[in-house]
Amino acid sequence: MSAKIEVKQLRKSYGSNEVLKGLDLTVQDNEVVVMIGPSGSGKSTFLRTLNKLEEPTSGQIVVDGHDLNDPKVNMNKVREKIGMVFQHFNLFNNLTVGENVMLSPVQLGKVNKQEAEFLARGLLKEVGLEDKFDAKPQSLSGGQKQRVAIARTLAMKPDMILFDEPTSALDPEMVGDVLEVMRNLAKEGMTMIVVTHEMGFAKEVADRVIFMADGHIMEEGKPEEIFNNPQNPRTKEFLNKVLNV
Amino acid sequence: MKKGRIGWISIVATFFILVGLALVNTDKIHADDNTYQIGTDVTYPPFEFANDKNKYVGIDIDIMKAAAKEEGFKVNVKPVGFNAAVQALDAGQLDGVIAGTTITPERKQKMDFSTPYFKTGVVMATGKNSKVKDFKDLKGKKVAIKTGTAAATYAEKIQKKYGFKTVTFDDSDNMYSDVVTGNSVACFEDQPVMQYAIRTGIKLKIITQPLTSGSYGFSVKKSHNQKLLKQFNAGLKKLHEDGQYGKIVSRYLGEKAVAAQEKEHSQNSFWDLWKQNKDALLGGLQQTLVLTILSIIFATAFGVLLGLMGVVPSKFANGLSTVIIYIFRGLPLLVLALFIYTGVPNLIGQKIPAFVAGIITLTLNEGAYTAAFVKGGIEAVDDGQMEAARSLGLPYGKAMRRVILPQGLKIMIPSFINQFIITLKDTSILSIIGILELTQTGKIIIARNLEGFKIWTMVALIYLVIITLLTWLSKWVERRMNA
Ligand SMILES: Nc1ncnc2c1ncn2[C@@H]1O[C@H](COP(=O)(O)OP(=O)(O)O)[C@@H](O)[C@H]1O
Ligand SMILES: [Mg+2]
Repeated sequence: MSAKIEVKQLRKSYGSNEVLKGLDLTVQDNEVVVMIGPSGSGKSTFLRTLNKLEEPTSGQIVVDGHDLNDPKVNMNKVREKIGMVFQHFNLFNNLTVGENVMLSPVQLGKVNKQEAEFLARGLLKEVGLEDKFDAKPQSLSGGQKQRVAIARTLAMKPDMILFDEPTSALDPEMVGDVLEVMRNLAKEGMTMIVVTHEMGFAKEVADRVIFMADGHIMEEGKPEEIFNNPQNPRTKEFLNKVLNV
Repeated sequence: MKKGRIGWISIVATFFILVGLALVNTDKIHADDNTYQIGTDVTYPPFEFANDKNKYVGIDIDIMKAAAKEEGFKVNVKPVGFNAAVQALDAGQLDGVIAGTTITPERKQKMDFSTPYFKTGVVMATGKNSKVKDFKDLKGKKVAIKTGTAAATYAEKIQKKYGFKTVTFDDSDNMYSDVVTGNSVACFEDQPVMQYAIRTGIKLKIITQPLTSGSYGFSVKKSHNQKLLKQFNAGLKKLHEDGQYGKIVSRYLGEKAVAAQEKEHSQNSFWDLWKQNKDALLGGLQQTLVLTILSIIFATAFGVLLGLMGVVPSKFANGLSTVIIYIFRGLPLLVLALFIYTGVPNLIGQKIPAFVAGIITLTLNEGAYTAAFVKGGIEAVDDGQMEAARSLGLPYGKAMRRVILPQGLKIMIPSFINQFIITLKDTSILSIIGILELTQTGKIIIARNLEGFKIWTMVALIYLVIITLLTWLSKWVERRMNA
């Protein structure tokens, strides 16, 4: 096992509001890390600094051996290898489902149009949506959109994928299909950081669970440790709230 | 990334090359060293007016041309309006002005005058059946004057004493109409012009003796074009000596000339008027269309560029875009046109042809509006779209072009159509700098035949037809893009 992501003393402030207060985290190859924590604790911000959708205020992030502070690092190249799946899917509304999946591999010259179409159809099949190739995103349900978004991310053949509450915007009956796709990815050895409130998924799939609050990592450990025997009172409080609803 | 940048650079480059070409081209037309640009009024019969073939004639124009012929220089006489002519002269856009300009001490501070060529004096005229007998009857009433004229200066001087209000006009015929229709009770005008207007059918009467005595002179900017001034004086002297001067004057003031002009003022049917003026109006329309199309092209290029500058991740570009939009949206189009045509040449010491000044004016103004809705359209696209594109590794330019712009464009299309129509309408404002587009053509025809109602109806109908066509075209394009 080798480190995919190494974060040291990461800080991020919006004006005088410090959102990330010095985080350290190492994610190994093939590892599935689930992040939990109350809303506003900085989970999204943390994920977004990893591919520099947000510029960190200070600290070091090393992805696949590339120090993101190094001005010579081509961020576009790094991003090709870190997939990201958003809570609100963010499918490209001007393109069909197939085009959504094909856009970046073609635009970045990874494959030609025909190869891209072949690739896209294959990925859509994997997520159970082979018949939606020519559909417009607007015509899909939330769960279908999220699965297309995952296929779109996979089209770049990423080394790791960041999921930011991928099922939070879905109707309950849609959640299962998306989690199924994610579970399969985990099985295939994809490195993943998943922010989610799906505790069942965390228990089953996560190699490690991280509890975040107030911009700090409060506690981390194996799922059974965190869920059955949390040490930090904040973790206990949080789990009590989410598990007893 | 690289390809995208080159795309933009080439658009910008094309824009400047086209403007450059336009400048060079029009410059070439006027660059003939022996040709002087002479400004004159739009309507000041018998000194300058368009005849029934819409050719500019009149005592001023014939004297100018005859003097030029005698002395072997060339002139290009441009009917830009008295006020605009005086400003353009000061800006160096024109070499001389012959526009029934009364020689006054104030004007002598800014201009050098030729030897006087026509005697004049200010008179007051009222409607045919007016009860106004003298200045005292003007108390509390409105009086029409024409901007920048010696008659206006006189009226303003006595205004306080007799307690009347003034209404200003740019053209003599509008000033007369205001008195004929009774909006104003009287107007002040130069005697020969007023006499001529009445003789040719304007329903006014002169009720004072000449209140001042003065003379008309040809003028150049103070201490400039002295050679032209000398040549004119020498030419004028010859015209007096060999009798040409007398012939020119009687050509316009003789019984026959006046009768012909009077006929022009008699009632004509709408259809007859259309037939008489069709060519002139369609010529004006053509100019309007050329202005519109070029302005739309340049304004769209400029506006899209400026709008993009407003959204790219660069604080400097954003700020610059905001400032430029603020300035050119804030300035009234009229002010911008005059500033570019008569203000900027003062600064850069080079003439800007009216046509080019007009295109630049519309490009800046319409471009600023375009930029604002381009910016708005792009900002209206959900941020998540850009984030998703960037997180896939797409560079900013590619993400913009493939994902954001196509969505933004859809939002912008109605605004574009609207802006194209506004641009077409706004070309009419360029009449102020003497561009012979549709509105200015209408003004000139009315100056001659005083058929304001019918001619403005024709002009309005032409605008409506064109705007309807433009709307249809735009909707068609919109449907095709959405398909
Ligand atoms: N672009 C931003 N500007 C200012 N504050 C922000 C921005 N994004 C997030 N924040 C703040 O950062 C804190 C953490 O937000 P976030 O990372 O979204 O939390 P979580 O994902 O854990 O709910 C919140 O207080 C939020 O208001
Ligand atoms: Mg969040």
